[in-house]
Amino acid sequence: MKIMDTNTINKTHISYTDLTGQHAYLKDELLEAVSNVLDRCQFILGPEVEAFEQRFAELCGVSHAVAVNSGTDALVLALRALDVGSGDEVITVPNSFVATTSAIVLARARPVFIDVRDDYNMDPSQIESVITSRTKAILPVHLTGRPAEMNTILEIAKRHHLYVIEDAAQAVLAAYHTKRVGSFGTIGCFSLHPLKTLNACGDGGVLTTNDSGLFKRLKILRNLGLESRDRCSAWSGNSRLDTIQAAMLLVKLKYLPKWTEQRRLNAEFYLKQLGGLSEIRLPIEQSYEKCVYHTFVIRTDRRDELKSYLADNQVETAIHYPIPLHLQESAASLNYKIGMFPMAEAQANHILSLPIYPELGQEKLNRVVSVIKKFYRG
Amino acid sequence: MKIAPMQVKFSYLDRQFSNIDTYFSDLKKFVISGDFTLGNALHEFERQFAALCRIPFAIGVGSGTDALVLSLKVLGIGSGDEVITTPTTFIATVGAIVQAGAKPVFVDSEDGFVIDSSKVEAKLTKRTKAIIPVHYTGNVADMPTLERIARKHNLAIIEDACQAIGAEIDGKPVGSWGVTACFSLHPLKNLNVWGDGGVIVTRSEDIAEKLKLYRNHGLENRDEVSIFGWNSRLDTLQAVIGNRLIREVGFITDQRIANATYYDDAFRNLQDYIHVPKRRSNVKHVYHLYVIRVEKRDQLLAYLQKNGIEAKVHYPIPVHLQRAARYLGYKEGDFPVSESDAKSIITLPAHQHLTREELDYTVDKVRNFYKERTANTAEQICGNRK
Repeated sequence: MKIMDTNTINKTHISYTDLTGQHAYLKDELLEAVSNVLDRCQFILGPEVEAFEQRFAELCGVSHAVAVNSGTDALVLALRALDVGSGDEVITVPNSFVATTSAIVLARARPVFIDVRDDYNMDPSQIESVITSRTKAILPVHLTGRPAEMNTILEIAKRHHLYVIEDAAQAVLAAYHTKRVGSFGTIGCFSLHPLKTLNACGDGGVLTTNDSGLFKRLKILRNLGLESRDRCSAWSGNSRLDTIQAAMLLVKLKYLPKWTEQRRLNAEFYLKQLGGLSEIRLPIEQSYEKCVYHTFVIRTDRRDELKSYLADNQVETAIHYPIPLHLQESAASLNYKIGMFPMAEAQANHILSLPIYPELGQEKLNRVVSVIKKFYRG
Repeated sequence: MKIAPMQVKFSYLDRQFSNIDTYFSDLKKFVISGDFTLGNALHEFERQFAALCRIPFAIGVGSGTDALVLSLKVLGIGSGDEVITTPTTFIATVGAIVQAGAKPVFVDSEDGFVIDSSKVEAKLTKRTKAIIPVHYTGNVADMPTLERIARKHNLAIIEDACQAIGAEIDGKPVGSWGVTACFSLHPLKNLNVWGDGGVIVTRSEDIAEKLKLYRNHGLENRDEVSIFGWNSRLDTLQAVIGNRLIREVGFITDQRIANATYYDDAFRNLQDYIHVPKRRSNVKHVYHLYVIRVEKRDQLLAYLQKNGIEAKVHYPIPVHLQRAARYLGYKEGDFPVSESDAKSIITLPAHQHLTREELDYTVDKVRNFYKERTANTAEQICGNRK
C-alpha cells in the first residue's frame, strides 16, 4: 500500500490536517463499497454494519461492538445502558472535547471533574476524594491517543463498585500493558468522526464491551428501543451507524494499522528533532504504553507567539483545547471556578498540537521542525 | 408449469436509481473534497428543503427522531412537563418525548389516523407544554383547531411531519402551524437519503439559530460552548444524495396521490369489507402510507403476501400498549379508535414506481380474497344444510 503525498498542489501551506490526501487514493474503493450497498438497498443496519462491528471488536480484543451515529451518542448510550441518570454523578476530566461532558449531562447525570496529570490524562490519585454515595461511574478519557492510567482506575472502581466507561474517541488501537483501549472498562466508546484516526465520511461512533447483556441492551437502545419491528421495550432514540458509512469504514480498517504506524513515525521524528529544545515540553511514551497520536501536543510558555510564528510561516497548528470544560459557559450551573483544576488550566494556556496526519510526508515534517527551531534559535 | 406470482414490493428503492451515474459522480467529488461535516452540500440541501416547504429556515439533523428531541429541547421542554400526542404513530414520536425528559400524554386518533382534535382539551393539565400532532400516513392533522387550542392555552405545537413532506391543508404546507415541524429522510420516506437523516423547519430565525447550536455540541465557535448540546448533524454525504432526490418530490407526491386515488376508486364497491378513510377536500394527503381498514385483516395480509404483494401493518400494537409504555399506566380500552385500528388496518404498496399492472394485480387479489371467502362461506352454509 502506498501513502501518497497529494499536497503538492500547494507546496507552501501545511494544513493542520488534510482529508483529501487519504481520500484521493481511497476514492475508487470507497465508491465500490457504496455501490455494493446500493445493490441491496439495505441502508439501515445492513450486513456491513455487523461486519464492521465484528472486525472492530476483534481489533479491540473484546467480545462485542455496537456501531452508532456518533462518539457522543456512544457515551450517552453507554450511560443509559448502565442506568446512570438523574441524581447520579460521573467522575471525569475537564480537558476533553465537550462531548465527554455533554454526554453525561444529556444522560441527566452530573459531571464531577478531577484534574489531570502531566500527560493530559485523569489523575487517579484524585478519584477517591470526589466519590460520594451518588457516584456511579468513572469516565476517563484517553486523550491525544494515549491510554489513561487504567490499572489504578480499575482498582479504585472495583473497590467502590463503580462502572468504568472509557472515552476512547481519540485512541483506537492505543494499548496499555499490551491490552487495547476499549477492553478495560465496562464499556468503551469510540468516535469515527472524519478527523479521527479511523474515520467515517460523516459522523459515526462505536461501543465495545465484553458483557453480552449490555451488548443486547445497547443494540435495542440504538434502535428506538425496538426488540423487533413491532415491539418496543424501552423508549430510546435513533442512533444507528449508516450502512454506507460501515461499508466505507470496512475499507478504511484495512489501512488503519499502516496509518497508525505512520502517525507514530511522524511523532518519533518530532521527538528526535525537537528533543534538544529546552523551551518545549514533548509527550513522553511510557514503556508500557502504545500511543496512537491522534494529536501530537507540545507545551511551551510562548505558545501564542509560537502559534502565530508558525502560521506566518504557513504552518497551521491547533489547540486541543484552549478553554477547559469547567470554565465553559455551559458549565456555569455546575459551579466550578477558575483555579480549581490548576493542571488542566495551565495546560490550556501552553498546549499546541502540531500536524501529525499520516499523509503529511517528510518534506512537510522537516519544514514544521525547521520553523519551530528558527523561532527559538533564530 | 407453475408461474411465480408477480412481486409487488413495498419498498421502491431498487427502482429509484435509474440514473445512478449522476449520483456517483456527485459522490466522487464529495469523497475527494473531505468536506464531510456541516459541509457545503448540507447548506445547499437546507436551502432547497426550506424552499420546498415554503418555510424560511431548515436545519439538517441526524434523524426524524432527533428532529423531535431537539425541537422539544430548544423550547425548554423536559423534566416535569407533559406533551400531548397520539398512540397512532411510529414509536419514535413518543421515544423523542421521553428522550427530552417529558411525559407523553395520549389522545385518541380519528378516522384519518391523526389526532382527534376534539379530545385534546380534556387532557390538558397545568404541566402541559406542547402538542405534537402527527401527520400520520401523509395525512394532515386538524391544524386550524389545534392552533386555536394551543393559542388559548399557551402551548407550543411541534408538527411531526416525518411522513408528510409536501402535504397541505387549506393550501398551507405542513410546518405552517408549529413552532417547528420535523421531517424524516429515512430510506423508506417519500423524500429519502441513503441512511438516517432528518430536517427541522421553522419560521423563527431565533429558533433556527438555537437549533444549529443544539445539533452541534452547543459550539458557538470551535472553542466556546454555551450549552451542552447534541451531536446530530445530517451527514453532508446524505445531503449530496438529498440534493438530487429533492428534485423528484413533485413527481413522487403526484404519483402516490394518483396510486391512492386509483385504489380508493377500486375499493368503492367493496364497502362491505373495506373502509377507506374519509378524504378531506381541503387536505393534500401525500400517502407516505396507503392505509385502509379491512375485514379479516390477518387473513388478507397472509393472502396478499402469499401472492407476492408486500402488504404491511403500520402498526399492530398501539404505542400506549407497548411494554415501554407500561409505567405510564395506560390500559387496553383507553383509546378505542387507535386500538381497533391496530387490529383492522393494512398498508398496501403505493409508491411512485408501481406500474399500472402492479396496481391492478393488487386490487384483483384483494377482490379475489373477499370473493373466495364469500363463496366459501356460502358453500359452508349449503354444506351444513345437507
